[in-house]
Amino acid sequence: MGLGVDVENLSGEGELRTDRLVVNLGPHHPSTHGVFRMVVTLNGETIDSLEPVMGYLHRNHEKIGERNAWNMNMPFTDRLDYISSMGNNHGYALAVEHLMSLGARYTPPTYRAEVIRVLMVELTRIVNHTWAIGFLLNDLGAFFTPALYAIAEREKILDFFEATAGSRLMCNYMRFGGLAKDIPERIHTTAALVNDRVRDFNTMEYLTELITERLPRAVDELDRFLTSSEIIRARTMGVGLLPKEMAIAYSAAGPLLRASGVPYDVRRADPYSIYPELDFDVAVRYNGDIYDRYLIRIDEIRESLRILRQILPRLERTAGESIFSGNKAIYAPRMPLGESYGHVENPKGELGYYVVSQGDPKGPQNPWRYHVRAPSFINLTPLGQMAKGSKVADVVAILGSIDIVLGETDR
Amino acid sequence: MYGQGILKGLGVTFKHFFATYVDDIRHIGGGKVSKDERFAQRQGMDATGLFTVQYPEEKIATPERFRFVPFLVVNDEDHPEKPGEDWCVACGICAKVCPPQCIWIVRSEDPVTKRPVPQPQAFFIDIDICMNCGYCAEFCPFDAIKMDHNYELASTDRTQNHIYDKHKLSKPFAYWRQIAPTTAWEEAVARGGWEHPDVIKDKKKSGAPIAQPGSSWTDPYVPPIVEKKEEPAPAPETASPSAEAVVVPAAEAVSEADAEKAARLAKREAALAKKRARQQGGEES
Repeated sequence: MGLGVDVENLSGEGELRTDRLVVNLGPHHPSTHGVFRMVVTLNGETIDSLEPVMGYLHRNHEKIGERNAWNMNMPFTDRLDYISSMGNNHGYALAVEHLMSLGARYTPPTYRAEVIRVLMVELTRIVNHTWAIGFLLNDLGAFFTPALYAIAEREKILDFFEATAGSRLMCNYMRFGGLAKDIPERIHTTAALVNDRVRDFNTMEYLTELITERLPRAVDELDRFLTSSEIIRARTMGVGLLPKEMAIAYSAAGPLLRASGVPYDVRRADPYSIYPELDFDVAVRYNGDIYDRYLIRIDEIRESLRILRQILPRLERTAGESIFSGNKAIYAPRMPLGESYGHVENPKGELGYYVVSQGDPKGPQNPWRYHVRAPSFINLTPLGQMAKGSKVADVVAILGSIDIVLGETDR
Repeated sequence: MYGQGILKGLGVTFKHFFATYVDDIRHIGGGKVSKDERFAQRQGMDATGLFTVQYPEEKIATPERFRFVPFLVVNDEDHPEKPGEDWCVACGICAKVCPPQCIWIVRSEDPVTKRPVPQPQAFFIDIDICMNCGYCAEFCPFDAIKMDHNYELASTDRTQNHIYDKHKLSKPFAYWRQIAPTTAWEEAVARGGWEHPDVIKDKKKSGAPIAQPGSSWTDPYVPPIVEKKEEPAPAPETASPSAEAVVVPAAEAVSEADAEKAARLAKREAALAKKRARQQGGEES
């Protein structure tokens, strides 16, 4: 009486029985990395339950893919995970090449094409992981300084993409049976606008400098800058735990799964391209918290650099060889009857494409079914389990550690 | 010791801060280093600091393969026979292969016989829909559509300005040679001459001389060779053997005899007028 607290409502353990508060985090919130909503039920500061709500960036990707001819889907795949478009291209190319191999006329990609594909995909992995680390730190409150340092070298990689594929993000570089173009002899710019400043590099020297000097230096620096920082350790260690069994049960993939102690990597589990002949380790960490997900990305960048160092001599050896098998001028290729699933280890996890062809030579030449197994989408499903019991401020960090791109989540 | 990691991190921040100004300190007071050289140093492979490109005072030039909204290749203005003629033959492959379907072509037809003429009467690209994938340029069998480098296309009216018609899309072949010298040379080698593939085919049949590309992309451009009775064709030797030669022949051609120039201009005007008339006629019908 008169105390403001109903003594009878106090539970036996001395805990206040408070009202649950439902809060919508997002969809328009910078920490959601796009338009994504989390319906959070709060008990004070603690999270009782979290429900991810997706679909704000739904663009009908799969239905458009079924309207499109086979070739036309390639630039659309760039727009899925727009940070690692080379990886998306690779997955789709693999799926359709497998479909083509069911028919009579099919020539597999040339060796040089495979070498350049792996070069591009591993560079993309570095781009994606530095980006993910930078923005994880942003989510933790280190406003943009780590992000800026992390993505500084990204610019150099993107310059190379731009000179080779024609675009920095939307590369549209791979074709069924090869590549759009060989890597240029020189990364050479031409002035077309007022105030344009021209640059000129030898491509092989540029790549060698990048892979053997600049990128390892940048990773080491990032490691030195962040790994031992007490603030980061306090915020990330033991937060957002995803046990091994749960990670498997939710069919998580990529760094999220490997940070929980499951050494599953499509490059090893179902090798494609020239990965069988390359020497690399599958990075694994065992704690399954945010800190391990950060560390595994650093590990993976190092493994990617190891692969890239093996790619350089192969590039030099195959210089001048053909990058395309078959007839490149066919703008509407015909597919045999059948279905195929092509999957790659994209930086965010296992990216798969499922395509079905009607095989009717006189009918419309487009996929009868086109489905994307988007790692961002599937990795997002255990978010509710990971966030349960942690504080509101941690949710943002947990989401950042999954590393999602909404373009791929919603498609 | 607690806090050691943070101090280490701050050290990295300080190093970055310092590295960004090393270049400035080195060049205190300006001196002999040009703006271009400093830009190349800052944005090159040896730079260690974090450098902003001071857009729009300075822009990173785009590489040759950079792709933005396409343009249509037409003959150079000083083309001896058909200045400003489209390379496009209205085959429609670009419109078919375009993933977002933003290209619209109307094929010309002969006003008398009503038979199709291999030329576009109208050509529209909705640049708001264009996704800059470059398929049209990649699959065009006549090298008639190419990806542009001009990315500064913002305007305040999307309803009128963003639907490009043929007039807005057409750019001379010299422009393509200027923005993509290597690629233009490679394509010329593949075609077997500097001119339109159909012209080369006709010339091969009749045995007329074809303007051949050199052995490397730095070799000068050879303007189309026209057989004339009294005057010899402009020989490739007259062009200066420098990298800028791609534009030089045009200037030289203009500085020829006045009478010839006037005659050519009149010819061109007539051709353009004829084309315009045909276009208008086509639109009305």
